[in-house]
Amino acid sequence: MAKLRFYCIFLLYILIKCESASVDTISSDIRFKNVDRTIDISTQLVRITSKLTLENTGSTPVKNFLIAVESSAKNNAAFAGAKDSNNKDLRVVETTVKGYEYAKFWRVDLKEAVNPGATPQITVTLVLTKALLPYPTAITQQEDQLVKYIGNLYIYSPYYITSQKTNVILSSKSVESFTKVKPFTQQDGGIQYGPYPNVKPFSEKELAIHYKNNSPFLTVTRIERLIEVSHWGNIAVEEVIEIEHTGAKLKGPFSRYDYQQDHHSGPASVRSYKTLLPASASDVYYRDTNGNISTSNMKVKKDSVELDLRPRYPLFGGWRTHYTLGYNVPSYEYLYQSGNDYLLKMRVIDHIYDDMQVDEVVTKIILPEGSTSVKVNLPYPVTRLPDSLHYTYLDTKGRPVISFTKKNIVENHIEDFQLRYTFPRLLMLQEPLLVVGFLYALFLCVIIYVRLDFSIHKAEHPHKD
Amino acid sequence: MTVEVQAKTRLPQLSSDKQLTFIKLAVLSMAAILSFGTRLFSVLRFESVIHEFDPYFNYRTTRYLTEEGFYNFHNWFDDRAWYPLGRIIGGTIYPGLMVTSATLYNVMQFLNITIDIRNVCVFLAPFFSSLTTIVTYLLTKELKDEGAGLVAAAMIAIVPGYISRSVAGSYDNEGIAIFCMLLTYYFWIKAVNTGTILWATMTALAYFYMVSSWGGYVFLINLIPLHVLALMLLGRFSARVYVAYSTLYCVGTILSMQISFVGFQPVQSSEHMLALGTFGLCQLYAFTQYLREHLSPANFELLFKALLTTLLATLGTALVALTLTGKISPWTGRFYSLLDPSYAKNHIPIIASVSEHQPTSWSSFYFDLQVLVFLFPAGLYFCFSKLTDANIFIILYGVLSIYFAGVMVRLMLVLAPVMCIVSGVAASSLLSLHVKDIEPKVEKHEKKKKHENNLVFRSEVGFLFVTVLGCLLVSYVFHCTWVTSEAYSSPSIVLSARAHDGARIIFDDFREAYTWLKMNTPEDSKVMSWWDYGYQITAMANRTVIVDNNTWNNTHISRVGQAMASTEDKAYEIMRELDVDYVLVIFGGLVGYSSDDINKFLWMVRIGGSTERGRHIREADYYTGAGEFRVDADGSSTLLNCLMYKMSYYKFGLVYTEGGRPPGFDRVRGAEIGNKDFNLDVLEEAYTTEHWLVRIYKVKPLPNRGV
Amino acid sequence: MSLEIESMVRYTSPINPAVFPHLTLLLLGIGIFFTAWFFVYEVTSTKLSRDLFKELLLSLVASLFSGFGILFLLLWVGIFV
Repeated sequence: MAKLRFYCIFLLYILIKCESASVDTISSDIRFKNVDRTIDISTQLVRITSKLTLENTGSTPVKNFLIAVESSAKNNAAFAGAKDSNNKDLRVVETTVKGYEYAKFWRVDLKEAVNPGATPQITVTLVLTKALLPYPTAITQQEDQLVKYIGNLYIYSPYYITSQKTNVILSSKSVESFTKVKPFTQQDGGIQYGPYPNVKPFSEKELAIHYKNNSPFLTVTRIERLIEVSHWGNIAVEEVIEIEHTGAKLKGPFSRYDYQQDHHSGPASVRSYKTLLPASASDVYYRDTNGNISTSNMKVKKDSVELDLRPRYPLFGGWRTHYTLGYNVPSYEYLYQSGNDYLLKMRVIDHIYDDMQVDEVVTKIILPEGSTSVKVNLPYPVTRLPDSLHYTYLDTKGRPVISFTKKNIVENHIEDFQLRYTFPRLLMLQEPLLVVGFLYALFLCVIIYVRLDFSIHKAEHPHKD
Repeated sequence: MTVEVQAKTRLPQLSSDKQLTFIKLAVLSMAAILSFGTRLFSVLRFESVIHEFDPYFNYRTTRYLTEEGFYNFHNWFDDRAWYPLGRIIGGTIYPGLMVTSATLYNVMQFLNITIDIRNVCVFLAPFFSSLTTIVTYLLTKELKDEGAGLVAAAMIAIVPGYISRSVAGSYDNEGIAIFCMLLTYYFWIKAVNTGTILWATMTALAYFYMVSSWGGYVFLINLIPLHVLALMLLGRFSARVYVAYSTLYCVGTILSMQISFVGFQPVQSSEHMLALGTFGLCQLYAFTQYLREHLSPANFELLFKALLTTLLATLGTALVALTLTGKISPWTGRFYSLLDPSYAKNHIPIIASVSEHQPTSWSSFYFDLQVLVFLFPAGLYFCFSKLTDANIFIILYGVLSIYFAGVMVRLMLVLAPVMCIVSGVAASSLLSLHVKDIEPKVEKHEKKKKHENNLVFRSEVGFLFVTVLGCLLVSYVFHCTWVTSEAYSSPSIVLSARAHDGARIIFDDFREAYTWLKMNTPEDSKVMSWWDYGYQITAMANRTVIVDNNTWNNTHISRVGQAMASTEDKAYEIMRELDVDYVLVIFGGLVGYSSDDINKFLWMVRIGGSTERGRHIREADYYTGAGEFRVDADGSSTLLNCLMYKMSYYKFGLVYTEGGRPPGFDRVRGAEIGNKDFNLDVLEEAYTTEHWLVRIYKVKPLPNRGV
Repeated sequence: MSLEIESMVRYTSPINPAVFPHLTLLLLGIGIFFTAWFFVYEVTSTKLSRDLFKELLLSLVASLFSGFGILFLLLWVGIFV
């Protein structure tokens, strides 16, 4: 075991080494000719979509470019992605730049190199979590939730930007205050800034918006997703979820009377949310440590099963809840076979609610007993946890468990992993034969027992029971 | 018996011996399966959780045992209950139930059967009822014959009096204790019949298991000595009984003293004195017999008289000495409660406030036992008609348990098995008597008896009789199923009602409130509630409670009662003193849940006023001038301003509950509440569940100085 | 190991989950029948009339059918082993 652990740590070490080893430099050839940025802060997440027009002013073709996040938002950045003009995903890798350790960088690898003078269009998406801070931090039951967004008025970029515009999407018309740097316009549900010409690389200027945002501020503090593969035609999924309302905390009493009387009462509270399960999900259960939670509705739709989950109590700021959600899906949806080789293709994490933010996910995959040579292929880097064994019904040497964890997850991370393993088909007979053997042993015991005679003296006539 | 006869015609190819075995096996296993199955109503209708309130304590301790191991469990000091006193769990419970389920759980875990401990607890009682069915068969077989055994087994499988305490989801000591009790009886009868040390030791072991699982073992340790005494009086005392009882008493007593909750009671307390006395008497009796054999009658007479006088004198002196030194105290409430079991009930309000300590009404005898009530006397007759040592035991058991069941509803549980056994004897005897008459004449040739042929219409009368009895038994089955399904399978943790359109509405407020407490209050907060909810709060919400269902400290409970019955500022002092953070009340006025805290309130007043510090709380203050308990405008002002009233009805005065009624109409009391417009000064509403069943209040901190 | 997903076929259970209940009832029924036969035989036969071969055969058949029956029962109730 110690050896195994050492091995794992070593592997991890190498993994970290490899990642930190990628150091890039800022190419001075690249410029952004025009950037159209949209900051969507209508939900609890901050979604920044920038349409970049790249320009190669140098003489050599450029294969990649960098995107950056300022140091203040560094720890909030959950996801970075890029698409080219054909809406194809581009490879985005986390990286560092010497001399700019305080910021966070990603390198976008382009499909085709950009020749000098060419101006391709790229769309970059950044998702920040926990960047909206409730202000005031505690409100009473009747009050609306006000949040503050503090960002950068300019696009934080390692390159020179010729022209840039920013469009901020809000969830409501009521804005308490916002940064006013001309030119800007305020329309209902949005603020436009710009165009600002000729901005230097890494320029920062505070953009603060204080506005009403009653959209659900729910954070999944931890989710443990358990996928159990059975070769008898079923894959069981169980998710243990801990949720907390991370918006403005509830101040003072909770009045059930007001809450029932007026449906607009508790505008910042969360009564229920929708979880989407795969369309083939069946035997859904929704419970916690005290038993079944009877307040949920299930709607079967064409491409998904929609669960309307209502926690036992409405969630106000600072309130927490936890539950277990489980379901079965048939194996033919996710399991592929070729001889004794199998491939499991499932989601690392599934939808919990719209615009979700997850602090930590632990995904565990339980393979059938006797599976060997397991290989995982993941869509993005995760921390692999040591493999373990799981013992349940009719097991002898335990089922291999593959587990990995990742922090700070958003909806964009709902992607498939691929897991390959080898499983001799004949091993499926092991379980029934185990039961048969056990029963046969019992019968043998009976056969032996009736032949035993413990009496000290010989019975006159054969004993009859 | 009828079944066997029918089977003979149906399976001609098997020999009659094999048929008999097969039928017996089939009937017995079906009865065992049935007794498991019929208890599953609540699980199938709702879900596999502990359904009752009290068993949550057992569930919690079992979980602790499986997680922490036996030694930690044994030494467990629970700081979650009886704040600030705490409770030593290991020394104040009967661990049999927890150890049983933990053992089962560990065995299954070892076999990789990964069943949750909760499910083990839920299904333990039905499982043990199956075992009880089998033990009943064995016991009745010893008393009468196999036919009676099968009838008794089938009867106990579905008897409502036993089902009431052993449905799936009710995880109570009684669930396994009845099995232990019957097992002990079976071994005891075996021991008396054979006179072997083996069976007597088995009795002692079964007795040990019984002691470890239920306080009702006292009934058992008095019944067996009574049996021995009765045998002595009837002149049936023999070496067999001597061996059986002496072994049982010695081994059993030593074993029972290993349970730390029992401790030295078997040699000190008055409930166990009968067993000790009988043990001594057995020795004397046997010694006398021995002497009589070896001495001439004249010498024996002299010796006997001399010994008797000395002995009585010594015993008398010892008794007086021990009483004076205070080693034994026979004239306490305990002693009276032995003579008059209703004593405690009438003099200690806490015991009186529990509904299951009330006397049994006649209707509930019929409700719980149905046809057994009528078969029981017949069975007693059959027992008397062929008096054996074993029959004397069952007669004693029957008569005594009828008496006790009359005193307390709860002890119906002890009565139900003996009712089944005796009725099984009756039904089987009656049937075999009359089935003979309607059997085809072919088999009659060998065993012709003269007077049988004298009766006219023998076969017709027999047929009629068998039909009537058959109908009775069938009605018994229907009655039992109905009672089980309607009365004993509705969980109290989840309430359900029917809407106008017939759809089921579920009130899941208890779990809502407890989950809220668990997730959204600080880990170390102290919750004050009436003691009924203590076990649940510690088990489901994992929070510290002031008092719980283990009502061992009357003053503490009384203090909580005083807080509930006082005005807000008085109550605040008490709550500060008890370091309370949250207060929880159950309020049924909105949905019409009648066992809420307002209906229990008079008990709080009585218990609150029963101690020295609560003298100022007088029950009479809470009644109207006409001596009524009312919550409407006519109610006494003390009631309308006490903490319990305010917590229950806070903001309720604004709510419309029923059409055509004013706001604030209490659907349980059927009255519009009297005090509607008030504010809480020292408390604030922390949470109220969806149907207002549970209301939780937070105790405000002391106001800042100068504000 | 370099198999691609395109070259693989979707995996289905060797036995259609829809027939689990029927299989359970059938196999378990036969199994219980033989178990009962075995026990009745054990209890009623005497030392002299007992036939070891018959006992072994009966118990083997009983355990085979019950074993598979129990497996399908587990699968039926949702315990996918």
